[in-house]
Amino acid sequence: MADWDELTEALADYTVTCNGNERLRKMQRDWSRNLHFVCADNELTFSMDVQRGEIIATPVGHVGVPDIVVTTDSEIFCDMFWGDLNPVQKYLRGEITVQGSQEDVMRLDAISAVIWPDV
Amino acid sequence: MSETIDKQEALEKFATFINPQRVRVMKAAGLDIIEAERSGAWVWDADGTRYLDCFTSAGSFNVGRRNPRVVAAAHAAIDRLDNGNFLLCSQPKAELAERLAALTPGSLSCTMFGTGGGEANDFAIKLARGSTRRLRIVSTVNGYHGHTGFALSAGGRASFRAPFEPLMPEFVQVPFGDLEALEEVLDERTAAVLLEPIQGEGGIVPAPPGYLRGVRAACDQVGALLILDEIQTGLGRTGRWWACEHEGVEPDVMTTAKSLGGSLVPISATVFTEELREFLIPSPFIHLSTFGGSDLACAVALEVLAVIEQTGLVEHAAAMGERLFAGLDRIAAAHPDVITEVRGRGLMAGIQYSEDSLGPRMSYHLARQGVLAIYSGNQPAVMRLMPSLVIEEDDVDFLLGALERAIADLLAGAGPEERGPSRPRRRPTRATAS
Repeated sequence: MADWDELTEALADYTVTCNGNERLRKMQRDWSRNLHFVCADNELTFSMDVQRGEIIATPVGHVGVPDIVVTTDSEIFCDMFWGDLNPVQKYLRGEITVQGSQEDVMRLDAISAVIWPDV
Repeated sequence: MSETIDKQEALEKFATFINPQRVRVMKAAGLDIIEAERSGAWVWDADGTRYLDCFTSAGSFNVGRRNPRVVAAAHAAIDRLDNGNFLLCSQPKAELAERLAALTPGSLSCTMFGTGGGEANDFAIKLARGSTRRLRIVSTVNGYHGHTGFALSAGGRASFRAPFEPLMPEFVQVPFGDLEALEEVLDERTAAVLLEPIQGEGGIVPAPPGYLRGVRAACDQVGALLILDEIQTGLGRTGRWWACEHEGVEPDVMTTAKSLGGSLVPISATVFTEELREFLIPSPFIHLSTFGGSDLACAVALEVLAVIEQTGLVEHAAAMGERLFAGLDRIAAAHPDVITEVRGRGLMAGIQYSEDSLGPRMSYHLARQGVLAIYSGNQPAVMRLMPSLVIEEDDVDFLLGALERAIADLLAGAGPEERGPSRPRRRPTRATAS
């Protein structure tokens, strides 16, 4: 089970990786969403504010009204944000659940594909 | 198949020259199928795996894939025809228009041909605006009418429209099946109401009993036209030639496409009343389509209609639909945690799952069981089953058995084999301990 410090570190790396990727920023420039995350194993929650493809903030707790809610275990979140697993495989096994539009789910996968094409 | 397909090469070329994310998504979903042999209700992947095709390109293969009669008609047409000069009058076009006039309900008797469903609906809307000299088009939330200009404007999925806005003005959407909501927006400015008798992409949602009749009456009250999009529901799919016949409703304009081409050629038709044709008399060239209703496609479509009529496919679809729904209801009753509703008509069935992710997950599990089935575009929690109308009892039973096995796999937590990256993990080692 991962704690908040580990999640913070993973989120920070993910934010730098995404925001530093020019191709991704251009591709996502019309995508502004509020994402909520729920750790099913330790009940930690956090949010991600994406504005025009840029991750603006990743605060603890649920902030604002979500467009997408992603739920899984904290370890999976950490591995996912570090780019060490393919989230679609976990999604299809039912280990990650996503509430939100199918376009957004696919877009999240597209982000992974751009920043970690080897996963 | 005399030609061997290198599946991996095909996928790699698709990723390189078309879209890598489509390949990634389809691979992840276990649907990275490269269609090789196709026959009747079945399709074979290039790797030899056989699938019962329950997607059928959203209902495009009503007469089965590569129906022998239709293939023979296509060969014969190619031997003597080509697409034809679109400005000239054409014998195959005239023949097909005559057949459509005979087969469509009520006083629908005139046709404009196109190449696909979007074009058919585009013309239907142009005709409505041109004939009535009114602007407003009322369609339904979660409705689907194609990706072209007018049709997209009428589409009920915001994510398809948003990147291209502003689209056409004076398009209004109301909830499907809610007659009061429709009546509230209908007035003397309304050119037409456009809807599907059963929403396809919207999640196989049949119109509630009486709704279509109510819409017809409401349109008549304000002088608006009723356009029925029968692109997925028509040509026998629901156990009648046209789904609106279940309600005895006659539209002013009807669109058909997909299966009209018999899985071989692109063709669509907008069929309308003689009264509406008056708009086209002084402007006979106001809507043109280079390949719409090509001579080749019309020859194929004529054989498609003949096959449906002469082989009793409409009645067969109704009978197979009864068997399918009986089985689906039984499975749903056994798994209320997975399936909350089964709905549809004939061989147009929708399985409502208990949550959104089950649509993609069940597509994966069904593919593993030899069934190609894809969730609804506008409702991922709904699996649509639209097999070819040539499906037989054994095929229906295969589908039901596959569904039961797929649910068992789902409940067991089965899924794609997990593979990590080939590179070293990026996550710091200290953070992996729990």
